[in-house]
This record gives sequence, structure tokens and C-alpha cells, in this order.
Amino acid sequence: MFSIIIKELKILVREKGSFFFLLIMPMLFIVLFGSVFGNESSTVTVNYMDQDGSKASKAFIRQVDKVDGFKVDKTKSTSLEQQVKEIKKGKLSSLLVIPKGFGEKVQSGKSPVNVKFYRDSSSEDSVSPIRAVLANISNGYHDRKLSAELMAVEKDATKVKKMMASPLQIRDIEENGKVGSPMAQFVPGYTVMFVFYIMITMVRRFFRERESGMIARLRSTPMKPLNYLIGMWVPALIMVLIQCTVLLTFGHVVYDLNLGDSLAIAAIVFCLAICGTGLGLALSLFVRGENQGLAFTQLIALGGAVIGGLWFPFDLLPSFAQVIGRFTPQYWAQKGFQDVMIRGAHLGDVEQTLGFLLIIGVAGLLLALVQFNRFLRSATS
Amino acid sequence: MEEALVIDHLQKSYDQKQALQGVTFSVKSGTCFGLLGPNGAGKSTTMKILTGIIEADRGSVHMLGIDASEKGKGLRQRVGYVPQSITLYEKLSAYDNLKFFGEMYGVRGKKLQQRIKEVLEQIGLKDRSKDAVETFSGGMKRRVNIAAALLHKPEVLILDEPTVGIDPQSRNHIFDMIRMLKKEGVTLIYSTHYMEEVEALCDDIAIIDHGKIIAQGHLHELLEEYSQRAIYVEAPTLKEPPTSPGAIRTYPQGEGWMIETEKLKETMLYFLNSDVGAKVTRLEIVRPSLESVFLSLTGTQLRD
Repeated sequence: MFSIIIKELKILVREKGSFFFLLIMPMLFIVLFGSVFGNESSTVTVNYMDQDGSKASKAFIRQVDKVDGFKVDKTKSTSLEQQVKEIKKGKLSSLLVIPKGFGEKVQSGKSPVNVKFYRDSSSEDSVSPIRAVLANISNGYHDRKLSAELMAVEKDATKVKKMMASPLQIRDIEENGKVGSPMAQFVPGYTVMFVFYIMITMVRRFFRERESGMIARLRSTPMKPLNYLIGMWVPALIMVLIQCTVLLTFGHVVYDLNLGDSLAIAAIVFCLAICGTGLGLALSLFVRGENQGLAFTQLIALGGAVIGGLWFPFDLLPSFAQVIGRFTPQYWAQKGFQDVMIRGAHLGDVEQTLGFLLIIGVAGLLLALVQFNRFLRSATS
Repeated sequence: MEEALVIDHLQKSYDQKQALQGVTFSVKSGTCFGLLGPNGAGKSTTMKILTGIIEADRGSVHMLGIDASEKGKGLRQRVGYVPQSITLYEKLSAYDNLKFFGEMYGVRGKKLQQRIKEVLEQIGLKDRSKDAVETFSGGMKRRVNIAAALLHKPEVLILDEPTVGIDPQSRNHIFDMIRMLKKEGVTLIYSTHYMEEVEALCDDIAIIDHGKIIAQGHLHELLEEYSQRAIYVEAPTLKEPPTSPGAIRTYPQGEGWMIETEKLKETMLYFLNSDVGAKVTRLEIVRPSLESVFLSLTGTQLRD
């Protein structure tokens, strides 16, 4: 068995394609997403046109600019018509127009000011946050006006403040010990996703062994068939362990990702490796060709990545996808990693994750064992 | 002489096609036995049954006195198998391949190192042992393919068309190896569709066609029994088939004529003394060949 393991490891090391899929590709994805989302939070730009140019309008603009995650940008053109055309062409997603007389009307408070907000209806996602901020600022103006009118009647600032206080208070309490970063999504996410690409390598290796006549030849030797199966499986397992170690270390070193309890992480990696290679072994013995194996691998790896919450937070998925996602090993692996990395979980806290991954992996191994004799009998050329 | 292999009424079918129809033959210890037949005759199926890769539907195989259907580890350690296809790991070196196969046959440590050294010398690739097999020529790969079956010093070596598609130099090298193994007392079972290989290497032969053994015995016996004696004559004046006394069949071959006859001496004298005698440029007794044996047994050319 050790001879087969050593031989297989030597072959895997010499096959550069495997390295590309298992290490280089996930690193590229991590670097790509890390550079886009990892270093700073995204900023929403609010394009505006100040037709008033008063102190009040400038104060209004400053208020928008002060909101975290927002910045204001004065339009280059002073023609409203031109700017609206830009929105229609899709070159501008929204435009805030402060009309002439804004300052006067705000100060007098007699009639409402119509601040116009032009938007591209197809860019709802990027426009919604701006609308929310504007509504909030508008409420602020409303509160100030109400407060001033109450003061005129009541004269007691404390009483007015009490009257103006909202009956609903929301306190923001941070429960996690560690600050979650986008990298805590991408590094474990792409590590888990690319673990399942070991299945392609396994399918290819078994297929080549069968097609070249190697399995038939080995059957003429005193080799025990089960030793062959284990000998082909263990190197893939070792590859995944190395793959996870390299990718998580990469995330830790390059992006300062907090890995948390290393024992818990190691346990998840081990169970994930059993899971990925167990499924890979079953797939290798069931598929009829490399292309079929490739198609199934893509289905498992990509499908599982989407509904398992590897690409974006699981909570953002539609509810039906979340229900299905909970049955994928990807979901459990990602949840386990994030529990340890973000929520400070330890080995005892990720038992459910470990159990699920092991069950899937062992099921794959058992399926492979059942199919193995049939596979051997088919390898006669 | 003791028999290393006894095959009795082997039968094997693939779906509707009967690949072997009661194949029976035996091989004496220390000899080279040739299994000769065209492609699809049942040679590889027979070889795979001998090595335990596939199972026969009926019949028995006794190798080195052991029932091969028992698939004993002991028997497999005493038998070597060289498959028709080159089954080596292309990315690995010749050394790594041999080490792997040696270990598969249970040879390890210093003994294996020694054996690898010996077989590399035997196949003439000692200097290339660290090179990846993918950099080798077809002939070199064939030699490593054979060497992989020799590391455990098998008592019986089964070779399934081991020279397909190689250059004459490598073929000669392989022939020398086989002769050497025979000298060492290894029993060789050699399947091929090349007549000249069987004639050059084998003591005993079985001819297989459509899953049946159609003739078997010592090479000389088969030639004696089944091949037709013949005279070849070439003369510029012989434009039509010559009519010699005792001719069984006359047909054109090359620049001259082939005359099949039992009366060799009389036929030669006839041409020397006849009108064409003075103009004969070539006159010779044709050496009987397995080609003619196969032709007389099946009515077809072997490579058809």
C-alpha cells in the first residue's frame, strides 16, 4: 500500500495541472476578491447639483458627505437636462438636485423644499442606500423644525428633548470577540470550494489507470485490491490537507486573517478532506469517463459553493436556497471555519460541522467500496 | 520434462461472442512456447486468463502445479506478465517504475536495488534509469515494460505481443533477453501474430484461430506436417507457368514462380535439364515456414 501511496504522490507532484486547480486558482480568487473588498469598505457616491449655492445647501451637502460609506461628487455639467440624459444612458445611476431658493425656504420653514432625486430604475441596488440616507437627513430637518416649534410653546429644553425622544431605542451591541472582515468570507470560502476540485484529479487518475491497462497489470501481481483503493485515496487526502494548510496560511499571512483555535481548524480541515476525497473516490469509480467526472465535479463544487454560502454570506441567500444549502458539506465547512475564526468557537463547538462532513465523507468511501469490485472487473484492457 | 502449464478446455464469451472455444494446450518447463494467431483469435484472452485478470467461463488452468483459479498470492509471485500495451507511469523515471513494480511483487530493500540494477543492465538502459519514461522511444518503453515483470525472478513469464510497433534494434534486444531468460530456465509463454518471432524464439507452438487451437506441437513437427515443400525458379524465358512433373500447385511469386511439390529433386533436375535450364537465374528449395502452415490450415494469410 505504501508503494502505491508513494508512487501516486510522485505522480501528483509532477502533474502541474493539479497544482493549478488546487492551489493557484483559489489563491488567485482570494487575491482578486481580497483586493476588491478586503482592504476598505465600499463607498457609495452621491452625485449632486447645487442650484442654490447657499450656506444651507452647502450644509446639507456636508451632512450627506459625513455619513460613513458615502461621499458626494459635484457634477461637472451645470445643465440638468444633460445630467438627466446621462442617467437615461446609464452613465449616471442617480442625481441629487438642490433647487434654487433652498436656503430661504429651509430658514422660513413656511413651505416644503422639493429636493429632487433622479435615479436610474435599473440601478436600484446602488441607489437604495442613498435614498435611505436622504430620508434620514430629511427626518432630521423635520425633527429640528418640530423641536423649534415646541420650544416656542414650552420654553423648557429638557421637556422638549424628552418629548422629541423616540419611544423605540435600538442599541448596537457587538457580540463577537473578533472583528469579521471580508477575508473571513473569502479565504475559507474559496478554500472549501477548491477542496472539492480534488475530485477531478481523482477521476483523472483512476480513469488513466484503467484505460492504460495499469489496473489489469497490477491485478496480475500479488497486490491486494483493497490496498490499491487505499493507496489511491490517501495521496488525494494528503493533497487536500496540504491545500487547506497552504490557503489558510496564505490568508493569515497576507491578509492578517485570524484563524482562531488551530486545533478546531485542523479538525475541520481533516474532516473536510475526508469529505472531499470520499466523494471523489465514489465519483471516480462510478463515472464512465473523464468528461462525466468533470461535469459532476463542477456540479458539486460550483453548485455547493453557491448554495453553501461560499461566495457571499449565507444569510443573503433566498430562503429556499438556505434550506437546500444546509444539506451541503460546503455550508457546514464554511460555517465551521467562520465559527472558529470570527465567533471564537473551539473544538467542542464545531462538533456538528465535523459530524456532518464525516458522514458525507464516510458515505462516499462506503459507496466506493461497494463499487470497487465492479470497477476492477471492468478494467481488463 | 515437467509441465509448467496445463490448460484444459478453456471457454470464454463476451456478450454473444465466443472468444475461446475449448482451448487446450500444455507448456513444458524451461521452454519457450509460442501462441500464434491473427488479431482477435483469442490470444490476449488466453493470456489474461492465465494471469488471473479475467476468469474463464469453463475449463481449468494449472500453473506450476497450482490451480490458477485459486488466485493464490504464492502463484502470482512466481509468474510475470508483460501486457500488450505499455503500462508504465510516463511521468516517473524508469528506476521509479521498476521500484514500484518490484514492490508490487513483494521484492524490497537491497534485494530490489540489486534486481533493478541487473534488469536495467539486461535491457541496456542503465544510463537512462533516472529519466522519465515519457522521454523514451517506443522500443525503450517496451524494454522497461518487460523489465517490470522480471524483478521478482519469475519462474513463468507470460508475454502478450511484447514487440508490437517497435524498431528492429529494440526487437533484437528483446529477443536476446528472451533467449537469456530461457537459458536461465524461465518458462516463457509468448503470444504474437509475427511468424518470424515464433520461428526465431519458440520450441513449441500452438496456432489459434477463432478461439480454437487448430494445430500444436514442436516447430519442426508442425512444419513437417502442415507446410508444403516447394521449389522457386526464376528465368527470363518463363513468361507462363512452367509445367514440371509432380507439381501440385504453381503460382507467381516475385520475379519467378513457386512450384509446390513433393518431388523436390526431380523438379530441380527437370528445370536444369529442360530447354529453360541454361537460362535459369535462380533455382532453390524453399524453406518451409509457419506462414505456409497457417495458410494450409486456415486457407488465409495470417495478417489478413
